Amino acid sequence: MNENLIELKNIETIYEGENIPVIKDISLEIKKGEFVSIIGPNGAGKTTLLETINGILPYTKGKGYVFSKEIKKNKYKIRKQIGYLIQNYELDPLSPFLCKDVVLMGRTGKTGIFRFFTKDDIEKVWYSMGLVGMIDFAKRPIGKISGGEFQKILLARIISKQPKILLLDEPLSNLDYSSRTQIEILLNRLHEKHDLTILMVSHDLSFIPKRCNRVIVLDKGKIIMDGSKEKILESKNIKNIFKAGDMK
Amino acid sequence: MIELPWGLLFTSIIGAILAGFACSMMGTFVVRMNLSSIGYCMSHAAFAGAAFGLMVSIDPMFGAILFSFITALALGPISEKARLESNIVIGFLFSFMIAIAFIFLNFVPGQTASARALRILWGSILSVTYNDVLLLGLLSFIIVVFVVIFYKELVSIMFHRKLAEASGVNTKIFYFGVLFLTGFAVAMSLRIVGGLLVFALIINPTSTAYQFFFDFKKIIIISPVVGILSCLVGYYLSLVTDLPIGPSIVIISALVFAFSILISPKRRKK
Repeated sequence: MNENLIELKNIETIYEGENIPVIKDISLEIKKGEFVSIIGPNGAGKTTLLETINGILPYTKGKGYVFSKEIKKNKYKIRKQIGYLIQNYELDPLSPFLCKDVVLMGRTGKTGIFRFFTKDDIEKVWYSMGLVGMIDFAKRPIGKISGGEFQKILLARIISKQPKILLLDEPLSNLDYSSRTQIEILLNRLHEKHDLTILMVSHDLSFIPKRCNRVIVLDKGKIIMDGSKEKILESKNIKNIFKAGDMK
Repeated sequence: MIELPWGLLFTSIIGAILAGFACSMMGTFVVRMNLSSIGYCMSHAAFAGAAFGLMVSIDPMFGAILFSFITALALGPISEKARLESNIVIGFLFSFMIAIAFIFLNFVPGQTASARALRILWGSILSVTYNDVLLLGLLSFIIVVFVVIFYKELVSIMFHRKLAEASGVNTKIFYFGVLFLTGFAVAMSLRIVGGLLVFALIINPTSTAYQFFFDFKKIIIISPVVGILSCLVGYYLSLVTDLPIGPSIVIISALVFAFSILISPKRRKK
Protein backbone atom coordinates (compact mmCIF):
# COMPACT_ATOMS: atom_id res chain seq x y z
CA MET A 1 0.00 0.00 0.00
CA ASN A 2 2.77 2.50 -0.90
CA GLU A 3 2.31 3.50 -4.49
CA ASN A 4 0.19 6.60 -5.17
CA LEU A 5 -2.36 5.77 -7.84
CA ILE A 6 -4.13 9.12 -7.70
CA GLU A 7 -2.51 12.42 -6.88
CA LEU A 8 -4.31 15.75 -6.99
CA LYS A 9 -2.52 19.02 -6.26
CA ASN A 10 -4.62 22.12 -5.58
CA ILE A 11 -7.26 21.10 -8.12
CA GLU A 12 -10.10 23.41 -9.07
CA THR A 13 -12.87 22.48 -11.49
CA ILE A 14 -15.33 24.92 -13.03
CA TYR A 15 -18.15 23.85 -15.36
CA GLU A 16 -17.94 25.40 -18.81
CA GLY A 17 -19.81 28.71 -18.95
CA GLU A 18 -19.78 29.15 -15.16
CA ASN A 19 -17.55 31.23 -12.91
CA ILE A 20 -17.86 29.51 -9.56
CA PRO A 21 -15.67 26.44 -8.99
CA VAL A 22 -17.54 23.29 -7.98
CA ILE A 23 -14.44 21.88 -6.31
CA LYS A 24 -11.60 24.09 -5.14
CA ASP A 25 -8.08 23.64 -3.82
CA ILE A 26 -8.41 19.86 -3.60
CA SER A 27 -5.18 18.08 -2.72
CA LEU A 28 -5.41 14.35 -2.36
CA GLU A 29 -3.32 11.21 -2.53
CA ILE A 30 -4.88 7.79 -2.94
CA LYS A 31 -2.62 4.80 -2.51
CA LYS A 32 -2.90 1.44 -4.21
CA GLY A 33 -5.37 -0.85 -2.46
CA GLU A 34 -7.19 1.85 -0.50
CA PHE A 35 -10.97 1.74 -0.17
CA VAL A 36 -12.05 5.35 0.23
CA SER A 37 -15.56 6.68 0.84
CA ILE A 38 -16.18 10.25 -0.24
CA ILE A 39 -19.13 11.62 1.66
CA GLY A 40 -20.89 14.94 1.74
CA PRO A 41 -24.26 16.58 1.29
CA ASN A 42 -25.88 17.06 -2.11
CA GLY A 43 -23.98 19.63 -4.16
CA ALA A 44 -20.73 19.15 -2.21
CA GLY A 45 -18.82 18.35 -5.43
CA LYS A 46 -18.48 14.57 -4.97
CA THR A 47 -19.45 13.62 -8.53
CA THR A 48 -17.35 16.49 -9.92
CA LEU A 49 -14.36 15.13 -8.02
CA LEU A 50 -14.82 11.64 -9.54
CA GLU A 51 -15.28 13.07 -13.03
CA THR A 52 -12.19 15.23 -12.62
CA ILE A 53 -10.15 12.16 -11.66
CA ASN A 54 -11.57 10.31 -14.67
CA GLY A 55 -10.79 13.24 -17.01
CA ILE A 56 -14.43 13.71 -18.03
CA LEU A 57 -14.34 17.23 -16.55
CA PRO A 58 -11.13 19.17 -17.16
CA TYR A 59 -9.67 20.91 -14.10
CA THR A 60 -9.08 24.63 -14.41
CA LYS A 61 -6.30 24.95 -11.80
CA GLY A 62 -3.72 22.69 -10.23
CA LYS A 63 -2.30 19.38 -11.44
CA GLY A 64 -3.80 15.91 -11.40
CA TYR A 65 -2.09 12.57 -11.91
CA VAL A 66 -3.44 9.04 -12.19
CA PHE A 67 -0.93 6.18 -12.50
CA SER A 68 1.69 9.00 -12.45
CA LYS A 69 0.33 10.32 -15.76
CA GLU A 70 -1.14 13.80 -16.07
CA ILE A 71 -4.90 13.41 -16.37
CA LYS A 72 -5.52 16.12 -19.00
CA LYS A 73 -2.96 14.77 -21.46
CA ASN A 74 -3.71 11.08 -20.96
CA LYS A 75 -7.43 10.88 -20.23
CA TYR A 76 -8.20 8.07 -22.71
CA LYS A 77 -5.18 6.00 -21.60
CA ILE A 78 -6.11 6.47 -17.95
CA ARG A 79 -9.75 5.53 -18.51
CA LYS A 80 -8.71 2.12 -19.84
CA GLN A 81 -7.64 1.27 -16.27
CA ILE A 82 -10.57 2.92 -14.48
CA GLY A 83 -14.03 1.51 -13.96
CA TYR A 84 -16.53 4.35 -13.52
CA LEU A 85 -20.05 3.70 -12.30
CA ILE A 86 -22.24 6.73 -12.97
CA GLN A 87 -25.04 7.94 -10.73
CA ASN A 88 -28.79 7.55 -11.30
CA TYR A 89 -28.75 6.37 -14.86
CA GLU A 90 -32.33 6.26 -16.12
CA LEU A 91 -32.90 3.34 -18.42
CA ASP A 92 -35.26 3.27 -21.37
CA PRO A 93 -37.42 0.11 -20.93
CA LEU A 94 -37.35 -0.47 -24.71
CA SER A 95 -33.57 -0.07 -24.90
CA PRO A 96 -32.41 -2.49 -27.63
CA PHE A 97 -29.49 -4.06 -25.79
CA LEU A 98 -29.03 -7.38 -24.02
CA CYS A 99 -27.39 -7.55 -20.59
CA LYS A 100 -24.36 -9.47 -21.91
CA ASP A 101 -23.79 -6.84 -24.62
CA VAL A 102 -23.89 -4.04 -22.07
CA VAL A 103 -21.23 -5.87 -20.02
CA LEU A 104 -19.11 -6.44 -23.15
CA MET A 105 -19.27 -2.69 -23.93
CA GLY A 106 -17.18 -2.16 -20.79
CA ARG A 107 -14.22 -3.63 -22.68
CA THR A 108 -14.53 -1.31 -25.70
CA GLY A 109 -11.97 1.27 -24.61
CA LYS A 110 -9.59 -1.33 -23.22
CA THR A 111 -9.61 -3.44 -26.40
CA GLY A 112 -8.82 -0.33 -28.41
CA ILE A 113 -9.79 1.11 -31.77
CA PHE A 114 -9.45 -0.97 -34.99
CA ARG A 115 -9.58 -4.19 -32.97
CA PHE A 116 -12.40 -6.69 -32.74
CA PHE A 117 -13.46 -8.39 -29.53
CA THR A 118 -11.73 -11.72 -29.02
CA LYS A 119 -12.61 -14.93 -27.17
CA ASP A 120 -10.70 -13.55 -24.21
CA ASP A 121 -13.01 -10.50 -24.07
CA ILE A 122 -16.08 -12.76 -24.09
CA GLU A 123 -14.60 -14.95 -21.33
CA LYS A 124 -14.06 -11.86 -19.17
CA VAL A 125 -17.70 -10.91 -19.69
CA TRP A 126 -18.91 -14.31 -18.44
CA TYR A 127 -16.46 -14.20 -15.55
CA SER A 128 -17.61 -10.79 -14.36
CA MET A 129 -21.29 -11.68 -14.84
CA GLY A 130 -20.67 -14.77 -12.72
CA LEU A 131 -18.95 -12.65 -10.08
CA VAL A 132 -22.03 -10.47 -9.66
CA GLY A 133 -24.37 -13.47 -9.94
CA MET A 134 -26.05 -12.34 -13.16
CA ILE A 135 -25.22 -15.12 -15.66
CA ASP A 136 -28.89 -16.12 -15.91
CA PHE A 137 -29.69 -12.58 -17.06
CA ALA A 138 -27.20 -12.59 -19.96
CA LYS A 139 -29.81 -12.71 -22.72
CA ARG A 140 -32.41 -10.55 -20.99
CA PRO A 141 -33.09 -7.07 -22.44
CA ILE A 142 -31.38 -4.47 -20.27
CA GLY A 143 -34.55 -2.39 -19.97
CA LYS A 144 -36.50 -5.27 -18.49
CA ILE A 145 -34.54 -5.82 -15.30
CA SER A 146 -34.90 -4.22 -11.86
CA GLY A 147 -32.83 -1.31 -10.50
CA GLY A 148 -30.71 -3.62 -8.31
CA GLU A 149 -30.10 -6.05 -11.15
CA PHE A 150 -29.17 -3.17 -13.44
CA GLN A 151 -26.67 -1.88 -10.89
CA LYS A 152 -25.09 -5.35 -10.79
CA ILE A 153 -24.88 -5.42 -14.60
CA LEU A 154 -23.15 -2.02 -14.58
CA LEU A 155 -20.77 -3.34 -11.93
CA ALA A 156 -20.07 -6.41 -14.10
CA ARG A 157 -19.49 -4.02 -17.00
CA ILE A 158 -16.74 -2.17 -15.18
CA ILE A 159 -15.25 -5.35 -13.67
CA SER A 160 -15.02 -6.96 -17.13
CA LYS A 161 -12.57 -4.24 -18.00
CA GLN A 162 -10.28 -5.51 -15.21
CA PRO A 163 -9.56 -1.99 -13.98
CA LYS A 164 -7.06 -1.00 -11.33
CA ILE A 165 -9.29 1.72 -9.90
CA LEU A 166 -13.04 1.74 -9.34
CA LEU A 167 -14.82 5.10 -9.16
CA LEU A 168 -18.33 4.45 -7.86
CA ASP A 169 -20.88 7.25 -7.77
CA GLU A 170 -23.63 6.45 -5.25
CA PRO A 171 -23.70 2.72 -6.09
CA LEU A 172 -26.04 1.96 -3.19
CA SER A 173 -28.58 4.73 -3.53
CA ASN A 174 -32.09 4.10 -4.92
CA LEU A 175 -31.81 0.39 -4.07
CA ASP A 176 -33.93 -1.67 -1.72
CA TYR A 177 -32.33 -3.11 1.42
CA SER A 178 -31.68 -6.54 -0.09
CA SER A 179 -30.02 -5.21 -3.29
CA ARG A 180 -27.99 -2.75 -1.25
CA THR A 181 -26.67 -5.51 1.01
CA GLN A 182 -25.80 -7.70 -1.99
CA ILE A 183 -23.87 -4.91 -3.72
CA GLU A 184 -22.10 -3.99 -0.51
CA ILE A 185 -20.98 -7.61 -0.02
CA LEU A 186 -19.84 -7.66 -3.65
CA LEU A 187 -17.79 -4.48 -3.23
CA ASN A 188 -16.14 -5.84 -0.09
CA ARG A 189 -15.34 -9.09 -1.93
CA LEU A 190 -13.94 -7.25 -4.98
CA HIS A 191 -11.68 -5.16 -2.79
CA GLU A 192 -10.50 -8.16 -0.83
CA LYS A 193 -9.80 -10.53 -3.71
CA HIS A 194 -9.00 -8.37 -6.72
CA ASP A 195 -6.45 -5.91 -5.39
CA LEU A 196 -8.56 -2.95 -6.41
CA THR A 197 -8.38 0.67 -5.33
CA ILE A 198 -11.90 1.94 -4.74
CA LEU A 199 -13.29 5.47 -4.42
CA MET A 200 -16.94 5.40 -3.55
CA VAL A 201 -19.16 8.45 -3.34
CA SER A 202 -22.08 8.49 -0.95
CA HIS A 203 -24.35 11.06 0.65
CA ASP A 204 -25.36 8.64 3.39
CA LEU A 205 -23.16 7.72 6.37
CA SER A 206 -24.89 4.34 6.70
CA PHE A 207 -23.68 3.39 3.18
CA ILE A 208 -20.01 3.06 4.10
CA PRO A 209 -18.91 -0.53 3.39
CA LYS A 210 -17.11 -2.67 5.97
CA ARG A 211 -13.79 -2.78 4.15
CA CYS A 212 -13.63 0.97 3.62
CA ASN A 213 -10.52 2.19 5.47
CA ARG A 214 -10.63 5.91 4.79
CA VAL A 215 -13.34 8.54 4.67
CA ILE A 216 -13.06 11.93 2.99
CA VAL A 217 -15.72 14.50 3.83
CA LEU A 218 -16.47 17.11 1.17
CA ASP A 219 -18.54 20.23 1.65
CA LYS A 220 -18.99 23.19 -0.68
CA GLY A 221 -16.28 21.84 -2.96
CA LYS A 222 -13.61 21.52 -0.28
CA ILE A 223 -12.18 18.64 1.73
CA ILE A 224 -13.08 19.35 5.32
CA MET A 225 -12.16 16.02 6.93
CA ASP A 226 -9.95 13.14 5.86
CA GLY A 227 -9.14 10.16 8.05
CA SER A 228 -9.91 6.62 9.06
CA LYS A 229 -13.53 5.48 9.04
CA GLU A 230 -13.60 5.14 12.80
CA LYS A 231 -12.08 8.58 13.39
CA ILE A 232 -14.51 10.32 11.05
CA LEU A 233 -17.63 8.51 12.26
CA GLU A 234 -16.77 9.14 15.91
CA SER A 235 -16.03 12.80 15.29
CA LYS A 236 -18.44 15.11 17.07
CA ASN A 237 -18.18 17.53 14.20
CA ILE A 238 -19.61 15.20 11.60
CA LYS A 239 -23.22 15.75 12.55
CA ASN A 240 -22.73 19.45 13.18
CA ILE A 241 -21.16 19.96 9.78
CA PHE A 242 -24.19 18.75 7.92
CA LYS A 243 -27.60 20.09 8.54
CA ALA A 244 -30.36 17.67 9.43
CA GLY A 245 -31.82 16.11 6.33
CA ASP A 246 -28.70 16.49 4.22
CA MET A 247 -27.17 13.32 5.56
CA LYS A 248 -28.56 10.39 7.43
CA MET B 1 -48.15 0.03 -66.15
CA ILE B 2 -45.33 2.30 -67.34
CA GLU B 3 -42.87 0.67 -69.75
CA LEU B 4 -39.27 1.75 -69.14
CA PRO B 5 -36.14 1.05 -71.18
CA TRP B 6 -33.98 -1.67 -69.56
CA GLY B 7 -31.03 0.64 -68.94
CA LEU B 8 -33.15 3.17 -67.10
CA LEU B 9 -35.01 0.46 -65.20
CA PHE B 10 -31.75 -1.12 -64.07
CA THR B 11 -30.13 2.16 -62.95
CA SER B 12 -33.22 3.33 -61.11
CA ILE B 13 -33.81 -0.02 -59.33
CA ILE B 14 -30.19 -0.27 -58.20
CA GLY B 15 -30.40 3.40 -57.15
CA ALA B 16 -33.53 2.71 -55.09
CA ILE B 17 -31.92 -0.34 -53.41
CA LEU B 18 -28.77 1.58 -52.52
CA ALA B 19 -30.68 4.64 -51.26
CA GLY B 20 -32.89 2.36 -49.14
CA PHE B 21 -29.82 0.68 -47.72
CA ALA B 22 -27.76 3.82 -47.00
CA CYS B 23 -30.57 5.85 -45.42
CA SER B 24 -32.00 3.09 -43.26
CA MET B 25 -28.56 1.91 -42.11
CA MET B 26 -27.68 5.43 -40.94
CA GLY B 27 -31.22 5.71 -39.55
CA THR B 28 -30.34 2.97 -37.05
CA PHE B 29 -27.91 5.37 -35.37
CA VAL B 30 -29.77 8.63 -35.99
CA VAL B 31 -33.01 7.35 -34.41
CA ARG B 32 -31.13 6.05 -31.36
CA MET B 33 -29.33 9.40 -31.01
CA ASN B 34 -32.69 11.26 -31.16
CA LEU B 35 -31.54 13.16 -34.23
CA SER B 36 -34.39 12.16 -36.50
CA SER B 37 -34.93 15.74 -37.67
CA ILE B 38 -31.53 15.68 -39.37
CA GLY B 39 -33.40 14.60 -42.53
CA TYR B 40 -35.34 17.90 -42.66
CA CYS B 41 -32.21 19.91 -42.14
CA MET B 42 -30.24 18.14 -44.87
CA SER B 43 -33.04 18.27 -47.39
CA HIS B 44 -33.47 22.01 -46.95
CA ALA B 45 -29.72 22.48 -47.15
CA ALA B 46 -29.95 20.64 -50.47
CA PHE B 47 -32.80 22.93 -51.54
CA ALA B 48 -30.68 25.98 -50.70
CA GLY B 49 -27.76 24.41 -52.59
CA ALA B 50 -29.94 23.83 -55.65
CA ALA B 51 -31.13 27.44 -55.53
CA PHE B 52 -27.52 28.57 -55.22
CA GLY B 53 -26.61 26.40 -58.23
CA LEU B 54 -29.31 28.08 -60.30
CA MET B 55 -28.20 31.53 -59.18
CA VAL B 56 -24.57 30.98 -60.23
CA SER B 57 -25.57 28.88 -63.30
CA ILE B 58 -24.13 25.51 -62.24
CA ASP B 59 -25.89 22.12 -61.98
CA PRO B 60 -28.48 22.51 -59.16
CA MET B 61 -27.81 18.90 -58.09
CA PHE B 62 -24.14 19.70 -57.59
CA GLY B 63 -25.12 22.70 -55.45
CA ALA B 64 -27.54 20.52 -53.48
CA ILE B 65 -24.90 17.90 -52.69
CA LEU B 66 -22.32 20.56 -51.84
CA PHE B 67 -24.63 22.31 -49.35
CA SER B 68 -25.67 19.01 -47.75
CA PHE B 69 -22.02 18.09 -47.28
CA ILE B 70 -21.14 21.42 -45.71
CA THR B 71 -24.14 21.17 -43.36
CA ALA B 72 -23.24 17.59 -42.39
CA LEU B 73 -19.66 18.63 -41.69
CA ALA B 74 -20.68 21.70 -39.68
CA LEU B 75 -23.50 20.16 -37.63
CA GLY B 76 -21.41 18.17 -35.14
CA PRO B 77 -18.69 20.76 -34.44
CA ILE B 78 -21.27 23.59 -34.12
CA SER B 79 -23.35 21.69 -31.56
CA GLU B 80 -20.22 20.67 -29.61
CA LYS B 81 -18.63 24.13 -29.66
CA ALA B 82 -21.83 25.99 -28.85
CA ARG B 83 -22.72 23.35 -26.22
CA LEU B 84 -26.17 23.12 -27.73
CA GLU B 85 -28.37 20.10 -28.25
CA SER B 86 -27.91 18.80 -31.80
CA ASN B 87 -31.66 19.15 -32.34
CA ILE B 88 -31.45 22.89 -31.61
CA VAL B 89 -28.63 23.30 -34.12
CA ILE B 90 -30.63 21.24 -36.64
CA GLY B 91 -33.65 23.52 -36.11
CA PHE B 92 -31.51 26.62 -36.52
CA LEU B 93 -29.81 25.34 -39.70
CA PHE B 94 -33.16 24.15 -41.12
CA SER B 95 -34.75 27.61 -40.94
CA PHE B 96 -31.55 29.34 -42.03
CA MET B 97 -31.31 27.12 -45.12
CA ILE B 98 -34.92 27.83 -46.16
CA ALA B 99 -34.28 31.57 -45.77
CA ILE B 100 -31.14 31.60 -47.91
CA ALA B 101 -32.78 29.30 -50.48
CA PHE B 102 -35.51 31.86 -51.08
CA ILE B 103 -32.98 34.69 -51.17
CA PHE B 104 -31.00 32.78 -53.84
CA LEU B 105 -34.19 32.09 -55.82
CA ASN B 106 -35.00 35.79 -55.67
CA PHE B 107 -31.97 36.40 -57.90
CA VAL B 108 -33.01 33.73 -60.42
CA PRO B 109 -35.36 35.08 -63.06
CA GLY B 110 -38.30 32.95 -64.25
CA GLN B 111 -40.52 30.34 -62.69
CA THR B 112 -38.88 27.43 -64.57
CA ALA B 113 -35.67 27.87 -62.64
CA SER B 114 -37.50 27.89 -59.31
CA ALA B 115 -39.31 24.73 -60.37
CA ARG B 116 -35.93 23.05 -61.00
CA ALA B 117 -34.84 23.88 -57.45
CA LEU B 118 -38.11 22.61 -56.03
CA ARG B 119 -37.63 19.34 -57.91
CA ILE B 120 -34.80 18.61 -55.45
CA LEU B 121 -37.43 18.52 -52.70
CA TRP B 122 -39.64 16.05 -54.59
CA GLY B 123 -37.07 13.90 -56.37
CA SER B 124 -37.29 11.99 -59.62
CA ILE B 125 -35.79 8.52 -59.78
CA LEU B 126 -35.93 8.50 -63.56
CA SER B 127 -33.32 11.25 -63.64
CA VAL B 128 -30.84 9.03 -61.75
CA THR B 129 -27.65 8.61 -63.75
CA TYR B 130 -25.07 5.85 -63.84
CA ASN B 131 -22.68 8.14 -61.94
CA ASP B 132 -25.29 8.68 -59.19
CA VAL B 133 -25.56 4.91 -58.77
CA LEU B 134 -21.78 4.58 -58.61
CA LEU B 135 -21.60 7.27 -55.92
CA LEU B 136 -24.41 5.63 -53.94
CA GLY B 137 -22.60 2.31 -54.25
CA LEU B 138 -19.40 3.88 -52.96
CA LEU B 139 -21.28 5.48 -50.08
CA SER B 140 -22.95 2.18 -49.15
CA PHE B 141 -19.54 0.50 -49.16
CA ILE B 142 -18.08 3.23 -46.91
CA ILE B 143 -21.03 2.86 -44.51
CA VAL B 144 -20.56 -0.92 -44.30
CA VAL B 145 -16.82 -0.56 -43.65
CA PHE B 146 -17.47 2.17 -41.04
CA VAL B 147 -20.05 0.05 -39.20
CA VAL B 148 -18.02 -3.19 -39.33
CA ILE B 149 -14.73 -1.65 -38.20
CA PHE B 150 -16.18 0.57 -35.50
CA TYR B 151 -19.11 -1.62 -34.48
CA LYS B 152 -18.05 -1.96 -30.84
CA GLU B 153 -17.49 1.79 -30.43
CA LEU B 154 -20.77 2.68 -32.18
CA VAL B 155 -22.84 0.24 -30.12
CA SER B 156 -21.25 1.49 -26.93
CA ILE B 157 -22.12 5.10 -27.85
CA MET B 158 -25.66 4.11 -28.85
CA PHE B 159 -26.21 2.60 -25.40
CA HIS B 160 -24.96 5.63 -23.48
CA ARG B 161 -22.54 8.26 -24.72
CA LYS B 162 -21.18 9.25 -21.31
CA LEU B 163 -20.60 5.63 -20.28
CA ALA B 164 -18.80 5.02 -23.57
CA GLU B 165 -16.63 8.09 -22.95
CA ALA B 166 -15.93 6.86 -19.40
CA SER B 167 -14.87 3.46 -20.70
CA GLY B 168 -12.19 5.11 -22.87
CA VAL B 169 -13.92 5.71 -26.22
CA ASN B 170 -13.34 9.08 -27.91
CA THR B 171 -17.02 9.45 -28.71
CA LYS B 172 -16.76 12.78 -30.53
CA ILE B 173 -15.14 11.41 -33.70
CA PHE B 174 -17.76 8.66 -34.04
CA TYR B 175 -20.59 11.09 -33.37
CA PHE B 176 -19.30 13.39 -36.11
CA GLY B 177 -18.78 10.37 -38.37
CA VAL B 178 -22.43 9.31 -38.00
CA LEU B 179 -23.67 12.86 -38.72
CA PHE B 180 -21.42 13.20 -41.75
CA LEU B 181 -22.34 9.83 -43.29
CA THR B 182 -26.04 10.59 -42.70
CA GLY B 183 -25.64 13.90 -44.52
CA PHE B 184 -23.86 12.09 -47.33
CA ALA B 185 -26.67 9.47 -47.52
CA VAL B 186 -29.35 12.18 -47.62
CA ALA B 187 -27.51 14.16 -50.32
CA MET B 188 -27.07 11.09 -52.50
CA SER B 189 -30.68 9.95 -52.10
CA LEU B 190 -32.18 13.31 -53.07
CA ARG B 191 -32.67 12.44 -56.73
CA ILE B 192 -34.53 9.26 -55.82
CA VAL B 193 -37.02 10.09 -53.10
CA GLY B 194 -36.52 13.84 -52.87
CA GLY B 195 -35.41 15.97 -49.96
CA LEU B 196 -38.74 16.06 -48.17
CA LEU B 197 -39.32 12.32 -48.25
CA VAL B 198 -35.80 11.08 -47.55
CA PHE B 199 -36.61 11.74 -43.90
CA ALA B 200 -39.09 8.84 -43.98
CA LEU B 201 -36.47 6.50 -45.41
CA ILE B 202 -34.22 7.28 -42.44
CA ILE B 203 -36.88 6.90 -39.76
CA ASN B 204 -39.46 4.32 -40.89
CA PRO B 205 -37.33 1.20 -41.53
CA THR B 206 -35.39 1.66 -38.28
CA SER B 207 -38.53 2.36 -36.27
CA THR B 208 -40.03 -0.81 -37.78
CA ALA B 209 -37.02 -2.89 -36.76
CA TYR B 210 -37.15 -1.40 -33.25
CA GLN B 211 -40.67 -2.84 -32.81
CA PHE B 212 -39.39 -6.41 -32.98
CA PHE B 213 -35.96 -6.68 -31.40
CA PHE B 214 -34.19 -5.96 -28.14
CA ASP B 215 -30.87 -6.78 -29.77
CA PHE B 216 -29.16 -3.86 -31.54
CA LYS B 217 -27.23 -6.27 -33.80
CA LYS B 218 -30.52 -7.54 -35.24
CA ILE B 219 -31.85 -3.99 -35.67
CA ILE B 220 -28.75 -3.03 -37.67
CA ILE B 221 -29.39 -5.98 -40.03
CA ILE B 222 -33.18 -5.76 -40.31
CA SER B 223 -33.47 -1.98 -40.74
CA PRO B 224 -31.65 -1.88 -44.13
CA VAL B 225 -33.60 -4.97 -45.25
CA VAL B 226 -36.88 -3.14 -44.52
CA GLY B 227 -35.49 0.00 -46.20
CA ILE B 228 -34.53 -1.86 -49.38
CA LEU B 229 -37.84 -3.77 -49.55
CA SER B 230 -39.84 -0.54 -49.01
CA CYS B 231 -37.95 1.06 -51.90
CA LEU B 232 -38.50 -1.92 -54.22
CA VAL B 233 -42.20 -2.36 -53.40
CA GLY B 234 -42.77 1.42 -53.59
CA TYR B 235 -41.00 1.50 -56.95
CA TYR B 236 -43.15 -1.33 -58.29
CA LEU B 237 -46.30 0.34 -56.95
CA SER B 238 -45.44 3.56 -58.75
CA LEU B 239 -44.83 1.70 -62.03
CA VAL B 240 -48.17 -0.11 -61.92
CA THR B 241 -50.26 2.79 -60.64
CA ASP B 242 -48.45 5.67 -62.35
CA LEU B 243 -48.01 7.41 -59.01
CA PRO B 244 -44.82 9.40 -58.27
CA ILE B 245 -41.99 7.12 -57.05
CA GLY B 246 -40.81 9.04 -53.94
CA PRO B 247 -44.22 9.26 -52.28
CA SER B 248 -44.97 5.62 -53.21
CA ILE B 249 -41.81 4.48 -51.41
CA VAL B 250 -42.68 6.57 -48.37
CA ILE B 251 -46.27 5.28 -48.25
CA ILE B 252 -45.05 1.67 -48.33
CA SER B 253 -42.47 2.27 -45.58
CA ALA B 254 -45.09 4.11 -43.47
CA LEU B 255 -47.60 1.26 -43.89
CA VAL B 256 -44.94 -1.30 -42.91
CA PHE B 257 -44.15 0.78 -39.82
CA ALA B 258 -47.83 1.13 -38.87
CA PHE B 259 -48.33 -2.62 -39.28
CA SER B 260 -45.23 -3.35 -37.19
CA ILE B 261 -46.69 -1.32 -34.32
CA LEU B 262 -49.85 -3.41 -34.47
CA ILE B 263 -48.02 -6.74 -34.30
CA SER B 264 -45.01 -5.68 -32.23
CA PRO B 265 -44.19 -8.28 -29.54
CA LYS B 266 -42.70 -5.45 -27.46
CA ARG B 267 -46.14 -3.89 -27.09
CA ARG B 268 -48.02 -7.10 -26.42
CA LYS B 269 -49.58 -7.28 -22.98
CA LYS B 270 -48.90 -10.44 -21.03
